[in-house]
Amino acid sequence: MTTISPSQTTRHRRGRLRRFSSALILAALFVASGSCSRYEPPPFRLNLEGLDRTEADSSGTLRYSDEKLQQIVDATTALFGTPDEPFVFEETELDIALLRRAAGPVSSDEHGNPRGLYREHCAHCHGVTGDGAGPTALFLNPYPRDFRPGVFKFTSTHQGGKPTDEDLRRTMVRGIPGTAMPSFALLPEEDLDALIEYVKYLSMRGESEQLIFPLVIDDEEELDEDILLEEVLEPVVGLWQSSTLPQFVVVPEEPRPSDRAASIAAGRELFQGERGCAKCHGPTGLGDGTERNYDMWNNKKLNLDREDVAARWSLPLQELRPRNLRHGVYRGGRRPLDIYRRIYAGVKGTPMPAAGPPYGQPARSDAMPEGSKNLSSAQIWNLVDYVLSLPNEEHPEIASAERPAESPKAGSPGGAGG
Amino acid sequence: MGKFWSLVFLSVPVLGVAVFVAAASWGYWFPQNVSAHGGQIDHLFMVILWLTGAVFLATEIVLAVSLWRFDGAKSPRARFSRGNMRIELGLAAVVGLLLVFITVYQLEDWAEAKIRQPDLPPTVEVNGRQFEWVMRYPGPNGELGDADDLFSPGDLHVPVDEDILVSLVSEDVLHSFYLPNLRIKQDAVPGMRIPVWFRATETGVFDLVCAELCGWGHYKMAGRLIVESRADYEAFLTRLEAEQNEDGFEEQQPTAANTSQRHPSVAEVVYRRAAR
Repeated sequence: MTTISPSQTTRHRRGRLRRFSSALILAALFVASGSCSRYEPPPFRLNLEGLDRTEADSSGTLRYSDEKLQQIVDATTALFGTPDEPFVFEETELDIALLRRAAGPVSSDEHGNPRGLYREHCAHCHGVTGDGAGPTALFLNPYPRDFRPGVFKFTSTHQGGKPTDEDLRRTMVRGIPGTAMPSFALLPEEDLDALIEYVKYLSMRGESEQLIFPLVIDDEEELDEDILLEEVLEPVVGLWQSSTLPQFVVVPEEPRPSDRAASIAAGRELFQGERGCAKCHGPTGLGDGTERNYDMWNNKKLNLDREDVAARWSLPLQELRPRNLRHGVYRGGRRPLDIYRRIYAGVKGTPMPAAGPPYGQPARSDAMPEGSKNLSSAQIWNLVDYVLSLPNEEHPEIASAERPAESPKAGSPGGAGG
Repeated sequence: MGKFWSLVFLSVPVLGVAVFVAAASWGYWFPQNVSAHGGQIDHLFMVILWLTGAVFLATEIVLAVSLWRFDGAKSPRARFSRGNMRIELGLAAVVGLLLVFITVYQLEDWAEAKIRQPDLPPTVEVNGRQFEWVMRYPGPNGELGDADDLFSPGDLHVPVDEDILVSLVSEDVLHSFYLPNLRIKQDAVPGMRIPVWFRATETGVFDLVCAELCGWGHYKMAGRLIVESRADYEAFLTRLEAEQNEDGFEEQQPTAANTSQRHPSVAEVVYRRAAR
């Protein structure tokens, strides 16, 4: 028998306490890991960008009450389903098999076909809802595209037109240089098809949601399927289908001029003078025009203080820099045709205006009176040639350090092996 | 108990060696080597594998023998030892000599791979950025870094059996340009232009991956190395050039001017209404 001294008793107790607490921690870990493995399907986030939820009418009732917002969610879900179980009406002409390939959690079906491609490759930046506010979005400039307004910067279509499938494919295959959008050229063709379809789906869904808002909030209509199809889906889908028809694709009316030097000189005239390109892009094309610019995803946040913006938008205000045309980095593609289309139809959603005529109007010809604002095909080619000549143009006001055309011949041997 | 633990610890070198011996037949060994200098790298790898393997085996066997012989039951009393200066000095000398040997032995291969840059203009600039590889080829004038450069995201085409000089840059963070089949691995450092050279000996499509954790999308920062004949390579450049200079002009294509002459379709009416 041993006698236990008081100090030994406390030590004994402490040891027991420690064992007990470690057991508790272990138990907590088990519970936590159990709840992690239980999958909760994420919802589409209701588009509340810019809404002031505290807004009330004269009688003091909230304009955006929880019940009303729930009605909007229900109506949108009735039209498009959920992130895990997409649904589309025939009218959208979207392929449900492709949508299923892109939607839902990352996995594969019984034939080994991938599922959840959107969440695997896109949602990190563009968000599950396609709101351009995924976890990485805050750190990027420019922000990832918010698909919900249905506006895409780089399209081959006329002013106000939607992107064609080919445009979306090109953006995914080439990436967008100068932004965080990488190339997905290595994805199999069918996966790209699925993602294109899903981007269109998210876009149509987001636009429909915006059309449902006034129906519920202002008109207080009882929404049935007929109303939804007629007043929501039809206008949204109609524009997607009509504006991407082959005849709405911008095609130059004449080939690129063969006398490059003369074309560049004419382009310089237009850039510096009549067209006012220099106002934003700067007289030297460095993108240092004096105006502050904001794109359509940001300009509604202007003149609000930071707290207001933080309360009502997912992302803070972001300024839009006019492109520095001397970097030789072309976000919408570097083919002369790409630049032609950027100038012809503008960069959608940004202050970059369309220089070509809207669809169906004749372009300006020499026979037309001065003062007509549209540029002719030849003039647009002049601007294209001038813009493409800028990265390698010598300019007395620009230090050589600002030019990107560094010589790749230099380079010291060595450097750490990976 | 000592015997039990001795056998447990002995199983580590036995299983370890067995795995190495069987790995090749399971298909887990070097990827196919298609580089003129890849054999030297593989040889160095094997030399170091044999050296470290021998040291590993020796250490493990000493451990197992000690556990077997100096069992607590057989020798209950521990004996204090100040160690043996001669043995320790000898071991240190052997290890030091091995390191000197490795240093001298690989000098020539290192120089071939990293120092003796071939005297030729860069074939291609490889630009790493989160999360893609973008190749930039000199255009028709042969100069890299001017207006007629050709861009190929994801696909690195090179002609077979020719010295290739890659000019490696990074746009954002550290990446590592890794061509497993060419035994090439080189960090891409922002702000530095690092030359990398090789000569591919077989045609085919091989992996190009990033071997430096560069962000959340690191695992999919991949590209393809396409080694092809000179003719195919030139056809590729011609294709790239034609694509890049595309002006989209086609005689017969309907344009805004001539489609407006005919009666507008319903779709056109919808579109015009929306575009207003």
